[in-house]
Amino acid sequence: MRFSSFAYLVGQGLHNMRANRLMTFASMGVQTVCMILVGAALLFSMNIDAMVDYIGEQNESYVYLVDGLSDEQITAAGEAIKAVPGVVEVTYISPTDVLTEFDDMLSSYTNLTDTFSSDNPFHSMYKVVVDDVANIDPIIEDLSMIENVESVSATRELSKLFVSVQTVVNYISYGLVAVLALVSIVVINNTIRLTVFARRKEIGIMKLVGATNGFIRFPFFVEGVTSGLISAAASSGVVCGAYYALYRFYLENPTTLSNLLGGTLVPLEEVWYYIVLGFVAFGFVMCGIGTATSIRKHLNV
Amino acid sequence: MIQFEHVSKVYETQSDENVALEDINIQIEEGEFVFILGHSGAGKSTFLKLMLMEEKPTKGKVFINGQDLTRLRRRKVPYMRRQMGVVFQDFRLIPTMTVYENVAFAMRVTNISSKTIKNRVPFALSLVGLEDKMDRLPDELSGGEQQRVAVARALAHGPKLIIADEPTGNIDPEMSMDIMQLFEAINKVHITVVVVTHEHELVQKLAQKYNNRVITLAHGQVASDTSHPEVAEMYEARMREMGMEPTYL
Ligand SMILES: Nc1ncnc2c1ncn2[C@@H]1O[C@H](COP(=O)(O)OP(=O)(O)O)[C@@H](O)[C@H]1O
Ligand SMILES: [Mg+2]
Repeated sequence: MRFSSFAYLVGQGLHNMRANRLMTFASMGVQTVCMILVGAALLFSMNIDAMVDYIGEQNESYVYLVDGLSDEQITAAGEAIKAVPGVVEVTYISPTDVLTEFDDMLSSYTNLTDTFSSDNPFHSMYKVVVDDVANIDPIIEDLSMIENVESVSATRELSKLFVSVQTVVNYISYGLVAVLALVSIVVINNTIRLTVFARRKEIGIMKLVGATNGFIRFPFFVEGVTSGLISAAASSGVVCGAYYALYRFYLENPTTLSNLLGGTLVPLEEVWYYIVLGFVAFGFVMCGIGTATSIRKHLNV
Repeated sequence: MIQFEHVSKVYETQSDENVALEDINIQIEEGEFVFILGHSGAGKSTFLKLMLMEEKPTKGKVFINGQDLTRLRRRKVPYMRRQMGVVFQDFRLIPTMTVYENVAFAMRVTNISSKTIKNRVPFALSLVGLEDKMDRLPDELSGGEQQRVAVARALAHGPKLIIADEPTGNIDPEMSMDIMQLFEAINKVHITVVVVTHEHELVQKLAQKYNNRVITLAHGQVASDTSHPEVAEMYEARMREMGMEPTYL
């Protein structure tokens, strides 16, 4: 295609938008709302992922051994723990280590090391990290079956809750994105269809003087895709702005729960390009499909 | 250049079947100037629409430059149409575009450079005497002026074949003569011209002067052809067979 034809067809597309501005405006509004909802769902799901990761990193289970074991028995238990599938990290903590740790924590009140130096009440234990908190139940079962293991404690309740929240949130997000994508396609399809209908005579004449389908379609694609990109820009601004405000609020108003979940949302710097690129791609693809499906009927001359 | 082989066209409407053309056999050579003459409803526009692929023949084949139009790929249709310049009976100007734009866009469709377009649009419009009305909208012109815009549009992209459906239908006799003489002049540079009209007096005058071929259509059949006198006898015989009086206009 010649550049002058290209420029002409782009101009025609933009002209159509202006001529059809009420409908164009309405459809861009709907698309913007769709994108904002999609963005909110994705950010929510990203944050849930980040929280689950954080909790996962905190996933430390403790395997308490029975009292009075020999060094060999302790080592053997350690080997057995390592052999359990799903266990990625095993650290031995001696009763003295535990005592020292507590002593550090309570140093201002009392000197535990001195008090218990000859009669340490703590058991030997292993700190265990698993690869996936979602599978922690069978792992704990395996661990408690090991010889000389007295009990196993896991911070699993919170993990389990968040893993199921994560699953649900992800499914809802996918569903929402699919529904909103469809809404976008339908809205664009209708907008372009209106322009096409207003120009159907013109399209017929163009076909009769030898215009190719591509030549006729091009301005409508310009119209559809431009409105998609404008919507993407508008919703990027809204979503990034609102998310930044939320991020600041969350950071400045810590709660017990928020501390437990890492204390911070995923920072805007790490997500904004996903948001912007996602919206642009969403606008581009949905508008492309919406436009393509709206013109076909009138091209058969 | 143009060849109709046993072409019939039947329009199906809800109530009945409308036979517009029946077993048409015509060959038009490159560089010819042909008048298609016939009364209203004789099938003249249908004849042109078949060439333009706006309609498909019910039976038979239409060839242009040796290409069978019934077997032409859909994708190739635009390129075939670009070789023709068409003046439609109902003008088919785009109401939202100025006169200039109406002519220019048909050239743009054909991928002609914008420089050529800028030069040639005013030239084409001056040929039909409309150079001072380039910026008007079609609604701001008389019927005859609109028709002349349609003529300018058909010429502008330099087609090898000009097809005109009643190009003088809305024009006063003097202007009609000018338009027809414009077509005659175009034909002098070896462009094939097919002009459809019901104005037999005008045709008589011009055909004698310029020695043009005249094909008469009646009731969807070829009733006479000045290049093939035997056609008229065949038509008369056919009509008598059907118990009808042969009519022409
Ligand atoms: N789209 C159509 N549907 C049904 N009948 C049609 C259609 N177009 C033309 N006809 C009929 O076909 C016949 C020939 O029409 P047309 O080719 O337009 O004749 P002309 O141009 O010589 O006046 C007429 O009887 C007309 O009523
Ligand atoms: Mg007609």
